[in-house]
Amino acid sequence: MNPKEYKYTQEHEWICPEPGNKGKVGITDFAQSELGDVVYLDLPSPGTQVEQFKKMGEIESVKAVSDLFAPASGQVLEVNQAVIDEPGLVNHDPYGDGWLVRLELSNPSELDALMGSDKYDEFIAQLGEEDSE
Amino acid sequence: MEPLKKTPLNEVQHELKARMVDFGGWDLPVWYTSILAEHKAVRSRAGMFDVSHMGRLWLTGRKAEAFLDRLLTKSVPRLEIGHAQLCLLCLEDGGILDDLVVYHVGIERYLVVWNAANTEQKLEWLFRWSSSDPDIVIKDSSSNTVMLAVQGPAVCQLKNLEDAFPSPRFGIAQAKIGNLSALVARTGYTGEDGFEIITDAANALPLWESFIKQGVKPCGLGARDSLRLEAGMMLYGHDMDTNTNPFEAGLGWLVDLEKGDFIGKNALLEIKRRGVNRKLVGFQMNGREIARSGYRILKSGQEVGQVTSGGYAPSLGIGIGLGYVPIELATIGSEIEIMIHNKPVPAHIVSKRFYKKGASNEP
Repeated sequence: MNPKEYKYTQEHEWICPEPGNKGKVGITDFAQSELGDVVYLDLPSPGTQVEQFKKMGEIESVKAVSDLFAPASGQVLEVNQAVIDEPGLVNHDPYGDGWLVRLELSNPSELDALMGSDKYDEFIAQLGEEDSE
Repeated sequence: MEPLKKTPLNEVQHELKARMVDFGGWDLPVWYTSILAEHKAVRSRAGMFDVSHMGRLWLTGRKAEAFLDRLLTKSVPRLEIGHAQLCLLCLEDGGILDDLVVYHVGIERYLVVWNAANTEQKLEWLFRWSSSDPDIVIKDSSSNTVMLAVQGPAVCQLKNLEDAFPSPRFGIAQAKIGNLSALVARTGYTGEDGFEIITDAANALPLWESFIKQGVKPCGLGARDSLRLEAGMMLYGHDMDTNTNPFEAGLGWLVDLEKGDFIGKNALLEIKRRGVNRKLVGFQMNGREIARSGYRILKSGQEVGQVTSGGYAPSLGIGIGLGYVPIELATIGSEIEIMIHNKPVPAHIVSKRFYKKGASNEP
């Protein structure tokens, strides 16, 4: 379910590496299901420098607001206008049309610090167990 | 930690894989599938809410009427059998201890439905004023009954509610729902037509299933909150509490100063004479940002108040909220700012009835 080629953070962002040290960023299916209906996104504008694991924006669902963290350092190249216009895309297609920003990575080796899909699957399974205790 | 309290519908909510939260010590669903979908179901057709966490209190006996009249801000003797009235329970200083609905169910029989919060404080208040008079019998029936709110423009097309249709807004009657015997009131907290049904806990599941079969959508606390906010209905503990008086809260219409003596009357007369210096207003964001409860309200960079309820209004597609501002700012069209994530964001004051198409609790 969580794409194999993506890398994941403990804060439930994903990054999909692209040729030329670029990467598309979004939030995971687990994150969108925890948030519920997303209704507004405050995303960094193109040109903004972001730093790995530092806050780069906010996601508002009907119920709550939550911080969005950068999965890697770099410069924002592009913001997904479709998701600004229709925030529900984050819920309907978190790994596809619901992507948030595209980054130019300043230090691609930072991606080694992120989880692969198997590790991330385990990570959210553990969170589920903690919840039910 | 104490275990969470469960309503008679708790099991079915878990079976439906609802997202459950600890709501004031109760294990309740915040949503079943999606707040937006549940909100829309109530605005367009019909949805149902388990509101069994609400307090249900029977007041009976020869002096029940006079007792309630002494405690509440509206006239209880004028409330006819079969009718309900939204009321305030005020402290001696005029502060609001709760907002509640009193139902005149039968001769010397009143039902009070009040908020789940501060139950002990409120019961203590009641027992203090009843001074163990044997002609005032107070009985909490919250734990052995279920309360289901069925709300939306299509409620009158529901087959098993036929018996309850003739009931006017704020009417209450003992009715048959299919073969189940229940108290059915035409009240609600969504800004839509609807019924609130109280019956034995043992009837909870058949009642629930009878509505599921007719396509009534189960709705959680999330939609309950967005629906009531859009309708401009206030939430106790957020938009009012013991530190607010009815006049600044915009609830003067619930205070009958012409009626006989009641607790808080003298203070309320004085507050009315003096006038208030702040007022609860509705506001709408100019852009797409969302204000939430607790955010600061600014005017020209100066803090002037606080958001007491705020969120996204699904029917309007924008952020709305309620909050207290100084009286000189409390006019429709006034420009204010809301501090959102350390940035002042423009908003303007609008009517508290953000969504106007459905039913209102106000006269």
